[in-house]
Amino acid sequence: MKILRRISQIIFLFLFLFLLIQTEYRGRDSIAYPVKIFLELDPLVFIATLIATHKVIGGLLLCLFVVAITVTVGRIFCGWVCPLGSLHNALSFAKRKRYLNQAQGQYDSAQAVKYYVLIFLLIGALFSFQFIGIFDPLSLLIRSLSLAVFPALSFLTELTLRKNFLSFRQPYYRDAVLFGLILLGVLLVNIKRRRLWCKYICPLGTLLGLLSFCNIVKLKVNEQCNSCMSCCAVCQGGCSPNSSKDWRRQECFICFNCVKECPKKAISFGFSFTDALRPNAVDIKRRHIIQSLLGGLFIFPLLKINPSAKLESPGLIRPPGSKNEGEFLSRCIRCSECMKVCLTGGLQPVTFEAGIEGIWTPVLVPRIGYCEFNCTLCSQVCPTGAIGKISLKEKQHLKIGLAFIDKNRCLPHAFGIDCIVCEEHCPTSPKAIRFKEVRTMTEGGTEALLKQPLVDPGRCIGCGICEYKCPVIDRPAIYITSINESRSNNNVLTV
Amino acid sequence: MDRREFIKMLLAGAAGLSALNVAGKFKTGLDALADFAPDLVVAKGSRAESVVEEAVNAFGGMKRFIARGDRVLIKPNIAWDRAPQFAATTNPALVGMLVRLCLEAGAKEVFVFDRTCNDPRRCYVTTEIGKASQDAGARLVYIDESKVKECPINGNVLKNWPVLTDVLETDKIINVPIAKVHGLSKLTLGMKNWFGAIGGNRSRLHQRTEYTIPEIASLFKPTLVVLDAIRILTQNGPLGGDESYVERRNTVVVGQDQVAVDAYGTTLFGLKPQDMGFIVNANKMGLGEMDLSKLTIKTLEVA
Repeated sequence: MKILRRISQIIFLFLFLFLLIQTEYRGRDSIAYPVKIFLELDPLVFIATLIATHKVIGGLLLCLFVVAITVTVGRIFCGWVCPLGSLHNALSFAKRKRYLNQAQGQYDSAQAVKYYVLIFLLIGALFSFQFIGIFDPLSLLIRSLSLAVFPALSFLTELTLRKNFLSFRQPYYRDAVLFGLILLGVLLVNIKRRRLWCKYICPLGTLLGLLSFCNIVKLKVNEQCNSCMSCCAVCQGGCSPNSSKDWRRQECFICFNCVKECPKKAISFGFSFTDALRPNAVDIKRRHIIQSLLGGLFIFPLLKINPSAKLESPGLIRPPGSKNEGEFLSRCIRCSECMKVCLTGGLQPVTFEAGIEGIWTPVLVPRIGYCEFNCTLCSQVCPTGAIGKISLKEKQHLKIGLAFIDKNRCLPHAFGIDCIVCEEHCPTSPKAIRFKEVRTMTEGGTEALLKQPLVDPGRCIGCGICEYKCPVIDRPAIYITSINESRSNNNVLTV
Repeated sequence: MDRREFIKMLLAGAAGLSALNVAGKFKTGLDALADFAPDLVVAKGSRAESVVEEAVNAFGGMKRFIARGDRVLIKPNIAWDRAPQFAATTNPALVGMLVRLCLEAGAKEVFVFDRTCNDPRRCYVTTEIGKASQDAGARLVYIDESKVKECPINGNVLKNWPVLTDVLETDKIINVPIAKVHGLSKLTLGMKNWFGAIGGNRSRLHQRTEYTIPEIASLFKPTLVVLDAIRILTQNGPLGGDESYVERRNTVVVGQDQVAVDAYGTTLFGLKPQDMGFIVNANKMGLGEMDLSKLTIKTLEVA
């Protein structure tokens, strides 16, 4: 069974990586594979968005499948499916057996910390601080791989082999170092204790543990046991497999390590319906729960009274299809699928431009990449509908911002030099940039007819290709700000 | 008769016969010149593949230009993420036919690429040029913009410019532009199409297009220029975006003189070659002939 579990982990890890690599433009306007399926199966994402938005997001109902399995047979997801769990195992594989001690498998009361993490995050969701995706293992893994690991690997293979295997072009992301270090940190703590993340921090594991309270799986230790504690040395979940009585079903990953390791073959897994109705107590004190709640009730309102919540931010150019900012912040789980799939690499994570609530949500940075006119990929891969799925026709009429010309830098306006590269690239029909012909003097003293660009706010959709192509490359003479975006009732320019 | 007289008679006879032979080949007037070696071929017809095939044949056939074992670059306009009917990019069927003709003429390999303005993967797919080229047997290439070589230019404005090494490493280049209006240069025809064969920051080249267009064009010696005017863009250029901006001209212009082809291209829009600063300067630089009255132009109708 342990071998079956390992095979299952390998299969799901490869499936996860395969789908992530497929989250890219491959010649068709729609992505052929169900690339967000891991997130759609994630019950934590469902609950967190339900609490934050008060809505049931249809695509996420797929998680009921995982809920049903967990309620029946426990945390089989953690042991057999979770790709981050498999990575933890892959790293621990290197560790020698003799360094494992029985403390690994014996239930440690500190494992209750993860309940407080979950409570804190869900209270945050209540105040529309959607931080669940920062700690959700699937979201964390997608984000770290997309924004840090894969780009770094691309860079290395380009440098050494002169060829890029992972993506068409070299991706560039802000704060990539941070995302890489976070994943490194999460994986490195395995040195201290195997699957430390899973046992002490992971909110998804915690939720699945709570859902396992009446599952029908039972661990039996028979009379052959001589209390050697070898089972505890290899236990992944910290569920005390050395005793049927002490075994904590809500911590067990059903990894079968204990069964394999026991020298007396004294441990076995079976099913029991009667035991199912006798749940273990969850080891959190009421006192601590109340402290957690009060802590949340104190901190989150303080964060919400920042005036930036009332002011529109010019740099906050959201992807086309995005809900209005309040709902967007509640739905966005910062999984960075949209940033991964963006054709031009223009979608980047913000740090504080959207307030603390908006940390690591996506914005368009036209200087890095513009929004390709015929593309709707980001709206296809968003698992929670923060970027709602839209048709191509809808997308081409949605405004995400407005272009402004800095007449002090624009070549025709400031220097009397012909240009209008912005007008050339404007993709709307008819173009949102027109030009007016003005008579000017050239340096030679002769009169010339010059074309000066003008933006039409009625037609401009804010895609940013003008800013991207403007020859004043250090600080473009035409630039996009968020005003006039269709999704906002407030951030409007013209009447 | 003696030997000397016999030989003289033979020589006279041979001379006479060849004179008759050659004379038979000559027709009278300018038609004769056009048949023999026209400067431009203007072919008209509704099916792009047939029109371009007949045009090339009338110009002497692809074998006249492509030698066995040549590595040929076909340089269409694939710059924009637009479907073919919007006339922002070259007609895919036309490109496919040119690939076929080159391969039939004995080319070792035919490359098709462009340094696009929108995402290259999308452009190659939406314009249908990717599929048409590959189906015809060409090798589709995605440009590495960093692989360039600085080339000198004897120009008023430009002294040098980087050229894509993928372009320099071919034996023959066939320039296949589409005729369009353009906000800045008024028209974009063959010479502007070379902007897709160069590296560097092209947005700067839009500052003095009456010089930069011919000066960039001076970097390239096209084996053939095939101007796609089956559908032309008459409004909202160079991107178009609506079928109302497109007009059918059902024409393909073939020539070796890139100035002459562009000069003829202006007439398709009801303009004159001397209206275009870039054509006037190209002519001044000695890149080719802009005066259409000095050129022999063969026109033909294709069924």
